[in-house]
Amino acid sequence: MRRYFILMLIVVAGFLFVNFNIADNNIPQEEVKTEKPQYHVPDDVQQIIDNSCYGCHNSESKNEKGKKKLQFDKMSDLKTYKQVGSLADIADVVTEGDMPPEKFLKKYPERQLSKEEQEKLVSWANNLAKQLTPED
Amino acid sequence: MKKGKVFGLIIVFLLVLIQFVPAGLPDTIAENENDLLYNNQIPEQVAVILKTSCYDCHSNETNYPWYSYVAPVSWLVGKDIREGREELNFSEWESLSKIDKAKHLDNIIDEVSDGDMPMNIYTIIHTDAKLSSEEIEQLANWAEDYAESLFE
Repeated sequence: MRRYFILMLIVVAGFLFVNFNIADNNIPQEEVKTEKPQYHVPDDVQQIIDNSCYGCHNSESKNEKGKKKLQFDKMSDLKTYKQVGSLADIADVVTEGDMPPEKFLKKYPERQLSKEEQEKLVSWANNLAKQLTPED
Repeated sequence: MKKGKVFGLIIVFLLVLIQFVPAGLPDTIAENENDLLYNNQIPEQVAVILKTSCYDCHSNETNYPWYSYVAPVSWLVGKDIREGREELNFSEWESLSKIDKAKHLDNIIDEVSDGDMPMNIYTIIHTDAKLSSEEIEQLANWAEDYAESLFE
């Protein structure tokens, strides 16, 4: 009988210990989660980006202005508000037809976005921005 | 001598004439219920910076100095204020979505840190609107904190 009691005590103590540990671990884990959301770029959108945007907007770009404004390969490292800001800017400039720039398109007319590509890129950017943003 | 006089008269005549071309200066509206400063707890130093350095073009509360009514200056001022309000109008801040707020705050940090805003043509005359490096830091820090708080 006494043995059972001791065993019970050990089980209860073990239970408490485990619970405390879980409770402790939970806090930092949640913090990490809110910091850097990762996301998947669908293939068709990735293709558009590769063809018409990535050449200037990457972390190794020789186009300093483009590099400074946006780096597609480093986007998921940014804070969420900056990702959302970039996505909203992408939607704006593509809708307005300001990107890719005219000067660039004169040299590489094949990189011009078709109407369909434009819409695809804009709706991807808008949807992803919404996903990353908590409800208003 | 006579030639110079005629020339001067023509210039004066033209200057008078162009005053009749509408400048398209946007109206000033003092009370805006969706205004950024009216609706949010913003540190006083930052509020002062925004009012002094940004609000003339990026809000409905434009202070027009006398010369801004005189053509051709008025044309230039009118164009800059129309474009400024269209890009970002702090008087309508609360009507923006969270996404647009994040976009603007992100752009504020970049523009101000790069010295692209306020525009040179504005700070040449409004010397008090020129931002010191300390003010740039205050403004950028505020914008970053505010943007991050939208995503908590």
